[in-house]
Amino acid sequence: MIEFKSVSVTYPGAKEPALADVNITFQKGEFVCVLGRSGAGKSTFIRCINGLQPVSEGYVKWEDKTLSEMTHKETLEVRRKTGMIFQHFNLIPRMSVVQNILTGLFGYKKSYENLLGLFKSSDRLQALEAIDQVELTVEPTRRVEKLSGGQKQRVAIARALVQNPKVFLGDEPVASLDPGTADRIFQLLKKTHVKRNLVSIINVHDVILAKKFATRIIALKDGKLVFDGTPEEFDDKVYADIYNHSS
Amino acid sequence: MVWFKRSQFLILLCLTILVIGSMKLTEFDLSKFRDFQNMGDFLSKWFPMNTESLPFLFQESLLTIAIAFLGSLFGLIIALPLSFMAARNTSKNRFVFSVTRFLLSFLRSVPEFVFGLILLTTLGPGPFPAVIAIIFHNIGVLGKLISELIESADKGPMEAMLAVGAKKWIGNLFAVLPQIWPNVLSQFFYRFEVAIRTSLILGLIGGGGIGQQLFIHFKTFQYQLVSVDVLLIMIMVIMVDYIGSKIREKVI
Ligand SMILES: Nc1ncnc2c1ncn2[C@@H]1O[C@H](COP(=O)(O)OP(=O)(O)O)[C@@H](O)[C@H]1O
Ligand SMILES: [Mg+2]
Repeated sequence: MIEFKSVSVTYPGAKEPALADVNITFQKGEFVCVLGRSGAGKSTFIRCINGLQPVSEGYVKWEDKTLSEMTHKETLEVRRKTGMIFQHFNLIPRMSVVQNILTGLFGYKKSYENLLGLFKSSDRLQALEAIDQVELTVEPTRRVEKLSGGQKQRVAIARALVQNPKVFLGDEPVASLDPGTADRIFQLLKKTHVKRNLVSIINVHDVILAKKFATRIIALKDGKLVFDGTPEEFDDKVYADIYNHSS
Repeated sequence: MVWFKRSQFLILLCLTILVIGSMKLTEFDLSKFRDFQNMGDFLSKWFPMNTESLPFLFQESLLTIAIAFLGSLFGLIIALPLSFMAARNTSKNRFVFSVTRFLLSFLRSVPEFVFGLILLTTLGPGPFPAVIAIIFHNIGVLGKLISELIESADKGPMEAMLAVGAKKWIGNLFAVLPQIWPNVLSQFFYRFEVAIRTSLILGLIGGGGIGQQLFIHFKTFQYQLVSVDVLLIMIMVIMVDYIGSKIREKVI
C-alpha cells in the first residue's frame, strides 16, 4: 500500500544523508514500530510518508501513485487520509477540545467553511464520537492548555480519527508521557488500528512498548534501514547492534 | 573583575565617547536649570483652568481618540495579512517575502508627519489625512512586529495542520494566530497609545482634535486653556493604557 524505493533524504548543508537508500513496503493491517537512536532518521522517515518531507532521491508510492508526482490537490488528499500524532501533541492553543478535533476536517472542507467554522451538526457529532472513542472524559469546551499530557494526546488522536484515516503515523507520540500513560495511549492506538483496519507506523523510543504492541518492527541507524522483522526476531543482539555507540 | 572581559571595556569606552559627543550636540547642561523660577512663573499662568469651553474641548478629545483608534485598528487589519507574507516561516516564497519586507520598512521609515504633509495636498486639512497617515505608519510598524511574532511561533501546530491536509494558508492562520494573539493585542494597544500622541503632532498641520486646540491655545497665549488640553490628553492616554491592560488580562 505504501512503498519506499531507494529513498534518500539529505538536508540542505548536511554532509551525511538523514535517510539513506531505504527500501520497504507496508501493507494494510500492519502495526509497525520504528526504532532507532536519537538522530537515526526516524522523524525524517515518518515525514516522508505523507510528504511533509520531500525526498532527495528515490520515491514514495501510495498504491500506484508516486508522491512527488502528485498534484497539490492529490497530496492534500493523501494527507487528509493520514492521521498523524506528535511528541508534543501539536494542538492549537487557546482553542477548545472540540474545536481542535474539528480542525481534523480541514482537508475535507472549503477554505471559507474552515475560516468561519461552518461545520455541520453531523461534523460536530463526529467530533463528539471521536471524544468517546479516545475515552476522554473532559468537557469538550475545555481549553486544551488545561489538559494533562495524556489527555492532550487523546485529543490529538481524536483529531486524527475525524480525518477518517487509512494510515496512522506517530512521531514519538508517547515520548513525553509517563510509562503508565504511554502504555494506555498505545493500547488505544492498537485498538483503533484493529477496529479501522489501518496501516500504523509509529516511532518509539521504548523497545518494550514496541515489542508489546507491534506486528512488525523496523530499525534505523544513521539513516539506514538495519532491521525489519517480527517482534520475536528483535532480540538482544539486534538491540545491542542498533543502540551501540561505537560507530 | 571576573564578570568583565577586555572587549567589554572597549565597548564602555565607545559608549562614553558617544555620550559626550551627544551631550555636546544637544547642549546638554543641567546647570541651566538655575532659571527654574521662569518655568514656575510660566506654569502659574496655566491656573486657574478655564473650564468654560470644556464641552468643546471634550468633543475635540473624542475626535483625537477616533483618529488614533481608526489609525491603529485599520493599520492592524491591513498589517495582519502582510505580516504573514513578511515572515520567513509563512511566506509563500522569497520574492513575496522580500517585497513585503521592503514595503513594510518603507512605510515605517516615513514619519506620520511627513505622510500628513503629503496627504494634505490631495485631501486638504482635517482629521481624515491624519487617520490615513497613522494607518500607513502603523502598517509598517505592526507588520514588522507581528511578522517577528509569527517567526518565533511554535511550528508544531503548523506541522499538524499540514498533516491533516489543510491548505497552507489556512493551516498557518489557525496554528499561528492563537499563539500570537495576546502579543498582537498588546502591540495594538501600545500603538493606539502612541497614535494619540501622534495625532497631537498632526494637529500642528491641521489634523484637528485636541492637538490642534493645544497648538492654537499656545500660540494665542491662552494658557488657562492649555492646562485643560494637557489634562484631557493625560486622561486619554491613561484611559487607553488602562483599558488595554484590562483586555489583555482577559485574553491571556
Ligand atoms: N530540518 C533539518 N535540517 C537539517 N538537518 C536535520 C533536520 N531535521 C533533522 N536533521 C538531521 O537529520 C538527522 C536525522 O534526524 P531525525 O529524522 O530527526 O532523527 P530522529 O527522529 O531519529 O531523532 C539528524 O542528524 C538530524 O540532525
Ligand atoms: Mg525524531
